[in-house]
Amino acid sequence: MPKISTSLDVSALRALPARRIASAIADAAERWRDADFPPRVRATTAIEARLGYTTPVVDYALDRLFESITREALSATIIDELGSLEALDGFVEPSGRPKRYARGLDTVVIVSSDTTIGVALAPLVFALCAKCGVVVKDRLDGLISAFLAALADEELAFASAARAASWDGGDAAIEDPLFAQADCVVAFGKDATLQAIRAKLPADTRFVAFPHRASFGYLPREALSDERAAHLWAQRAAVDFLLYDGESCMSLHGLAVERGGAIAPDAFARLFGRAVEETATEFPAGMVSPGRAAAAASYRNLAAFRAATGQGFVLAADCATIAFDPPRDAAPAFLPRTIGILPVDHPTEFVAYVQQHHLPLEAVATTPPLRDDVRAAIIAGGSVRITALGQLQSPPLSRGHGGRPRITDFVRWIDDET
Amino acid sequence: MSELDRRILDAIASAAIDEETFNTLAIEIFAYQLRHNAPYAAFAKTFGFSPAHLPASWRDIPAVPTAAFKEATLCTFPSERAALHFITSGTTQGAGGHHYLESTALYDASLLGGFDRFMLPDGARLRYLNLVPDPRERPTSSLGYMMQRVARERGDGRDGWYVHGDELDVDGFIRDLQTACNEHSAVCIAGTAFAFVALLDALAERGRSFVTPPGSRVMETGGFKGRSRHVARETLYAALAQRLSIEPGAIVAEYGMTELCGQYYDSLPSRTTSQRIKAGPPWLRPLVVDPDGREVPRGTVGALRHIDLSNCSSVVAIETEDLAYARDDGFVLLGRDAEAELRGCSLDAEDLDVARR
Repeated sequence: MPKISTSLDVSALRALPARRIASAIADAAERWRDADFPPRVRATTAIEARLGYTTPVVDYALDRLFESITREALSATIIDELGSLEALDGFVEPSGRPKRYARGLDTVVIVSSDTTIGVALAPLVFALCAKCGVVVKDRLDGLISAFLAALADEELAFASAARAASWDGGDAAIEDPLFAQADCVVAFGKDATLQAIRAKLPADTRFVAFPHRASFGYLPREALSDERAAHLWAQRAAVDFLLYDGESCMSLHGLAVERGGAIAPDAFARLFGRAVEETATEFPAGMVSPGRAAAAASYRNLAAFRAATGQGFVLAADCATIAFDPPRDAAPAFLPRTIGILPVDHPTEFVAYVQQHHLPLEAVATTPPLRDDVRAAIIAGGSVRITALGQLQSPPLSRGHGGRPRITDFVRWIDDET
Repeated sequence: MSELDRRILDAIASAAIDEETFNTLAIEIFAYQLRHNAPYAAFAKTFGFSPAHLPASWRDIPAVPTAAFKEATLCTFPSERAALHFITSGTTQGAGGHHYLESTALYDASLLGGFDRFMLPDGARLRYLNLVPDPRERPTSSLGYMMQRVARERGDGRDGWYVHGDELDVDGFIRDLQTACNEHSAVCIAGTAFAFVALLDALAERGRSFVTPPGSRVMETGGFKGRSRHVARETLYAALAQRLSIEPGAIVAEYGMTELCGQYYDSLPSRTTSQRIKAGPPWLRPLVVDPDGREVPRGTVGALRHIDLSNCSSVVAIETEDLAYARDDGFVLLGRDAEAELRGCSLDAEDLDVARR
């Protein structure tokens, strides 16, 4: 295992205006939007080999990642959180308040999980906007390393301010000195992984944890006014369901459908099943481990057993399994391309289900305009994001997982009261 | 006792069951269950099977997922008349599944027949020291029942039980094992993997080890299921062999489940090799299948299915999520693929279990 170099030099980066940094980052991202950009082609192949997702799915992920990183989005997010970009360059004087300077932390360490595509990218770019030195635990596909190279092409200051390296999570020889010098550690992964990292950090080190989470859909009766509308929402829900084979924290892990619309929940489930089959041609299923495949098959067969004994029905195809009206005491399956559709009379039933199974919700996808009782239910369910079906897997750059800010964690506010 | 039960008992009592006999019995049992086990019949109907339309081969009998035992009463008789009622321990979905058996005869014949073949090929009469639930405290534990029957029918009458609730009676075990050693009485120590881990920790703390009498053996069963730290099986067996002075080849893994009457064991030849092969008695056959339920070629990893002729009063074909690959002489059990790397940042069942605790 190579030693991780932590000798970062941020002096050149700190000399740049934040606006220039954001601009350079956006320029690098723009090059990565081109699917034929050679580093992206190499990264795509490596990600496919690492995770088993198909090319369209990886392309979708990279498109969404890099399309979101624009000058405007970076600036808007920074202004939203810090008041101005100039606050990152030195003291600014907000009206009626003392001068303030959002000085970037010296060192940020980002521990991305091995199981995702590019989750480290957003914290990386915002830490760089804050002029922090950054070390990223990269994956074997080298996506972050390759993006850092593109950044250095845009602005040499990035080359000495950021490193990406690959190591085995939990390797004390690497992580202990790294964490000891970090001012902030950002980590993605399972609870046990995050707890282990937290336990290693000095008390005054900031720790930004992104644990695994779940997402849900809620389809109100108004959206089921006719078959055309229902079909539209079914198609959008199918995209949210199939992307990343249902294994992202922003995948559709369950879908509550209200009774009382012109299209009944069971009829919607069948429309959804057709939409899933259609959408699966656009986003084919990736490779699945034998154990996950066996678990998914078992879920499908159990749903078929329930259906045979008069409990709901199951729509099973090569591409996915959809169980209609699974028992409420069964948690979502959290298996590849496997989903339960819950018919409900009222959003409180959805909240009860979420709370019964202690589901930590990342997002709920629904249909606009949002009814007050649906909004209240989603808030009660603990979700940090409400979005439209079809947009679940395309979160805006401005908010991190779990409702965290993007850049605030990477700066130390200094007030000058003189 | 029905004529069908009698024929199954005869088959169990015989040295071997040929393909034709196995197939005939399996199909007859399936047909019987289609007539008397309504939920199973409804499930089988979705495969196009009915008493009038039966599969030609036992390999095509629809297998019920183990979780279905939580969803429906899967027996061929009114469950209130059950002679035996076992409940699974339950995992991620809360409540356990129920396995009702109409009479003790088939179950006893099946468990004793398998135990004799694989644990007592020498016909030894042993003292059974049990690190499994005491059936007097947990009458719905199939493992407890099994060891009680074994101890009663094959033991020396001085069996001991050391799991009470969630507590392991280490002192009682040490006392009884020491007595057996003093009396030169060979023992069979039966327990779950997590009970053995707890026992080894306790023996290490006390600095105790034993030289068990010749002929002593260990039967290990079950996984860890979050009950203790996970220890690799090789490590566990090496520690048991060292602490109890038992040859590693006399430490045998049993593989069974509440929903089955029969059990598999490490095959005799494989016990001294680096790779343990699971083998079953002739009335219990495994199938390794792909996610669509098709049998896969030998050597290919798939999910395990079991066809158990002694499951006559419940369901003859059971599907599991356990992974394995078949060999000519049995199968290699890989378990639930718990170590497989998951993709994505979604919650999974394990996360959910942690959240619930």
